[in-house]
Amino acid sequence: MKRYAYYLSCINESMTKEVDRSIELWQKDLGIEFVKLHEGTCCGGSNLDYVSPKHFALVNARNIALAEKQGLDLIVSCNTCLMTIRSAKKKLDETPALKKEVNDLLKKEGLEYRGTSEVRHLLWVLIDDIGLDAIRQKVKVPLKNYRIAPFYGCHILRPSTVLGHDNPVDPSSLDLLIDALGGQTIPYTHKNRCCGFHTLLVAEQESLNVAAEALEEAIQLKADFIVTPCPLCHTSLDGYQAKALKHAGVESSIPIFHISEMVGLALGYSAKELGIKRHIVS
Amino acid sequence: MTVPIDQHIEQKQDVTFRIFRFNPQVDSKPYFDDYTIPVERGITVLRSLNYIKEHIDASISFRAFCQAGICGSCGMRINGLSQLACTTQVWEVLAKSREPGLIRVEPLRNLPLIKDLIVDMDPLVDKMKHYSNWIDSTMPESSMGKKEFLISEEEFLRYDKATDCILCASCVSECSILRANKEYVSPAVLLKSYRMNVDTRDALHGQRLAELVKDHGVWDCTHCYRCQETCVKSIPIMDAIHGIREDAIELRGLKDTSGSKHAEAFMSDIEKKGKLVEATLPIRTNGVFWTIQNLLPMAVKMIMKHRTPPPPPLVKPAKGIKVFRELFREMTEHVKQDHKSHKK
Amino acid sequence: MRFERMKPFDIVIVGGGGAGLYAAMEAMKTNPSLNIAVLSKVYPNRSHTSAAQGGANAALGNKAKDDTVEMHIFDTIKGSDYLADQDAVDVLCSEAPKIIRELENMGTPWSRMDDNTIAQRPFGGAGRPRCCYCADKTGHTILQTLYEQCLKKGVIFFNEYFALNLSVKGSRSRGLVAINMKTGRLEAFPARTVIFATGGYAKMYWNRSSNAAGNTGDGQAIAYRAGIPMKDMEFVQFHPTGLRKSGLLVTEGARGEGGYLINKNGERFMARYAKEKMELGPRDLVSRSLETEILEGRGFDSPAGKYLHLDLTHLGADLIKSRLPQIREMCMQFEGVDPIEEPIPVRPTAHYSMGGIDTDNFTRTVMSGVYAAGECACVSVHGANRLGGNSLLDILVFGRIAGHTAAEEAGRFEPGNISEAELQLNSDEIRGSMHSSGHYERYGELREELGQTLALNVGIFREASLLKKGMQDIAELRERFKRVRVFDTSDVFNTNLLQVLELRNMLDLAETVAAGAFAREESRGSHTRVDFPVRDDAKWHKHTMATMVKGNVSLGEKPVTMGRYELQERTY
Repeated sequence: MKRYAYYLSCINESMTKEVDRSIELWQKDLGIEFVKLHEGTCCGGSNLDYVSPKHFALVNARNIALAEKQGLDLIVSCNTCLMTIRSAKKKLDETPALKKEVNDLLKKEGLEYRGTSEVRHLLWVLIDDIGLDAIRQKVKVPLKNYRIAPFYGCHILRPSTVLGHDNPVDPSSLDLLIDALGGQTIPYTHKNRCCGFHTLLVAEQESLNVAAEALEEAIQLKADFIVTPCPLCHTSLDGYQAKALKHAGVESSIPIFHISEMVGLALGYSAKELGIKRHIVS
Repeated sequence: MTVPIDQHIEQKQDVTFRIFRFNPQVDSKPYFDDYTIPVERGITVLRSLNYIKEHIDASISFRAFCQAGICGSCGMRINGLSQLACTTQVWEVLAKSREPGLIRVEPLRNLPLIKDLIVDMDPLVDKMKHYSNWIDSTMPESSMGKKEFLISEEEFLRYDKATDCILCASCVSECSILRANKEYVSPAVLLKSYRMNVDTRDALHGQRLAELVKDHGVWDCTHCYRCQETCVKSIPIMDAIHGIREDAIELRGLKDTSGSKHAEAFMSDIEKKGKLVEATLPIRTNGVFWTIQNLLPMAVKMIMKHRTPPPPPLVKPAKGIKVFRELFREMTEHVKQDHKSHKK
Repeated sequence: MRFERMKPFDIVIVGGGGAGLYAAMEAMKTNPSLNIAVLSKVYPNRSHTSAAQGGANAALGNKAKDDTVEMHIFDTIKGSDYLADQDAVDVLCSEAPKIIRELENMGTPWSRMDDNTIAQRPFGGAGRPRCCYCADKTGHTILQTLYEQCLKKGVIFFNEYFALNLSVKGSRSRGLVAINMKTGRLEAFPARTVIFATGGYAKMYWNRSSNAAGNTGDGQAIAYRAGIPMKDMEFVQFHPTGLRKSGLLVTEGARGEGGYLINKNGERFMARYAKEKMELGPRDLVSRSLETEILEGRGFDSPAGKYLHLDLTHLGADLIKSRLPQIREMCMQFEGVDPIEEPIPVRPTAHYSMGGIDTDNFTRTVMSGVYAAGECACVSVHGANRLGGNSLLDILVFGRIAGHTAAEEAGRFEPGNISEAELQLNSDEIRGSMHSSGHYERYGELREELGQTLALNVGIFREASLLKKGMQDIAELRERFKRVRVFDTSDVFNTNLLQVLELRNMLDLAETVAAGAFAREESRGSHTRVDFPVRDDAKWHKHTMATMVKGNVSLGEKPVTMGRYELQERTY
């Protein structure tokens, strides 16, 4: 059993509850134990970093320190949380004065940020720690009838100086996972593009255009569904799909899956168990 | 010391360049032409294009000037990625190419197409003008040339990287929001605006900032990081964009625009609950009217799917929130101190 | 071809680099009511000024407190091998501190000293550290600043316009004809005054030049064809280590950190030429040494020509990565060679042209209403050899003077006027090359051959028989050019046409370079005659003047203006 600290992303606690629920279903099947960090706080959602860089450092040093206290790596299943916490870590590791200032405060909570725990995405754990062969062996219901469009989202790829796992121009990890689960990945040029989530409330029209483009290509390519490692991309592509496609004048729809649901399906869990029915687009 | 007498044997391979073609005088729509030429190691994409133009098809049109990576003329999309043709090695592109032996060459996106690989740069220049991308010196013109401003190396370092920009427009071509709306300010113009705003010699700071926080300005950036990732000079463009936002919040307050209100929500929610209160985020960003008008139909669907975020009282604070809050507030004091000493 | 006619301008500036932009700014400042236009064949921020890395000299005394304008003047005159006009050098050096401060005052991001003043560093041939810089991007940041300031002032730009010819009536110019690249249309720019600021002509050495592809001497060629004399055209500066394929510079830093120059026998050949200093000898000596190795058959062979190795491999990956990151990146990007793994293929490369349009200290040419500034002009401040850090300074100081002078004098000249017939003449000339039938020539081949003959016969080592061969070759190439064919017959952005027109300019000027080099029977500064190895002040302490007469070069001369400094031997 491999143990990891599991970061609770705000959105998975509220709107996309199906993510954590589906992971809970299959984690033991793959020999993983995720220890939820209930003391963790919001990472700042790629906004706190400019509102207040120091609070941003404090909050995320603390999030990582909570994992370090247990001697575990911190696993994240939201791209933006991943990018945000990793960039805070990079800043802390590169700036001794900041690290000290933050640690002086964390001391009061009995915590210390040392920089010993890695911050990683669920997708990376599946590929690097569990391994594609091991996953292949566990598959009960291969996804062989599905044409799947992999939508990576931005913050698992860029900035590559912070992420560095996939080639941001032509990423492959999600394609490899789909393949291991028996699915058929389609050549999807929007795979490394943006979903528009972060400006949905600030520049809605632009965001909808961005989302519509990604949806349209997958529809044109006759994909059965889009899969994404990020609940924010999911919200933009699923929650806002009707609005985006209407805006673009497209009369069609396409389901959006989380990677945790896709893995669950292949491991034999039902759509209902996995929470897939909770999606806006079915 | 001995060095082998190696009379450099050139390795060559055949490479097909699939080039985007469009001549507005004759073509109703763009098409691609294939040109296959032998290319030895060490040859750049630009040199290959030059070769094709000189030996196979003189009508292929592209810009190139310095051919040394400093003028920014030859920005184009090479196998989908916006970069300079003159600094891109053919063999390196081939090594990563999905289609063996093939390199696609297309014009930059998000700028009007003129011909083949040439796009119109005027919209970018117009935006530079609109956002006053120059220093409006605090020194009157009549006094110039007599003495220097004294500028610390620390201040210089704040805009050092930003002044590396060669306006090649690769970031413009990759920008997600520009693709959605051509009115958007553009990453390069944000970068230059930032560079001007942090320069203490400049007198336009507040005015420029006021323009930047308007529609199609700095708050419309969706943090996709494509600009930064593609930058041929490796400039951290997002740092500049965030720098403008930080500045806007400091100078114009958190209630200034929907963008800053949206950002503010993160700060206050984290302090209160350690968690984001998503249910009220639209209202706090854009007000009740906008929220009802824009999000009501979706909200209905979400309620039906039990997908609505919990209302504020039901958002469970993070475990141990009390101690966390103390740390958070203490950091607020640190920041206040920083600002004070910064102003001195 | 359709024509477009502009309303008459007071000043038309050709070229949007450092000199052109400074001229525009200064002209607007001098007289805001004037109607001024800048024509540039590229967007101004693309201009070759951006390639100057090192810096600009000015005796600010920030680094060396005892530095003086006087010392700067002396260094420049000595560096010029006493061919510079001393009154012009006076202007250059005395204006330097003011212009550097002025740039600083309007936003150029100079690197800084500990006391927050503009940083200065030592440079070759200068007695004090007086080169002001912004990291390794000085030219780039100066160009950006000037472009930004011009946008702020509302300067009217005609970007991607290629100037064709001056319209001349008697002894004065009436304006300029240019081609709008975007539309392919010829446009007339009637003007009271014209300022040429089009940069250098060293690109005629083609891939044996570090210059931008566009440094084709357009302004000089236009002026030359209009009967304005060119001065000291034979003086072209070479840099010892250009990359073999592109000609781009591998800066002195690589040798400074301990790089070796190696020939095909594996020898560190500099031992033959500079036993003590080895690879760190003065630039012209190292250039000549590389050239000698190649000429005597000790170079490596390749389809792109003979070359030598600049070997850094023994320095190790750590040192190369930490101290020479830009050089490594450049070698990988442009040559596909990682200097950690293998030696860099290099050979000498032409990188600066001292000669140009003859002007007085106010940038006036002999033709009323026509001015020139920057590398395209020859005032002369560089004489036979330019000092590092003086080229940026030159374009700034004389760019500003040009703007000021033209603004002051524009009122003296009648409004420009260009006739329909004249436009038609220009148009026919261009159209002719598009429809040539029968035997034709390819511009690429002509350009390649021009570069080759210049490098071989009018290169670092010059000698009567070689120069004669060079002149013959150039004459033949000019003849063959008459049958050159423009294959692209479209109007919109016809870069094929542009390249052909640029080639014409290079060919016209090449004749003046070769003729000047043949005539000058001495060795001075960058001009090395194997058959006349010493400086001959009695016969050749004078400028050569090249004028076009009936389509061919005719040589004359002009005395050097002396001042406080007597002729001395130039030793370092």
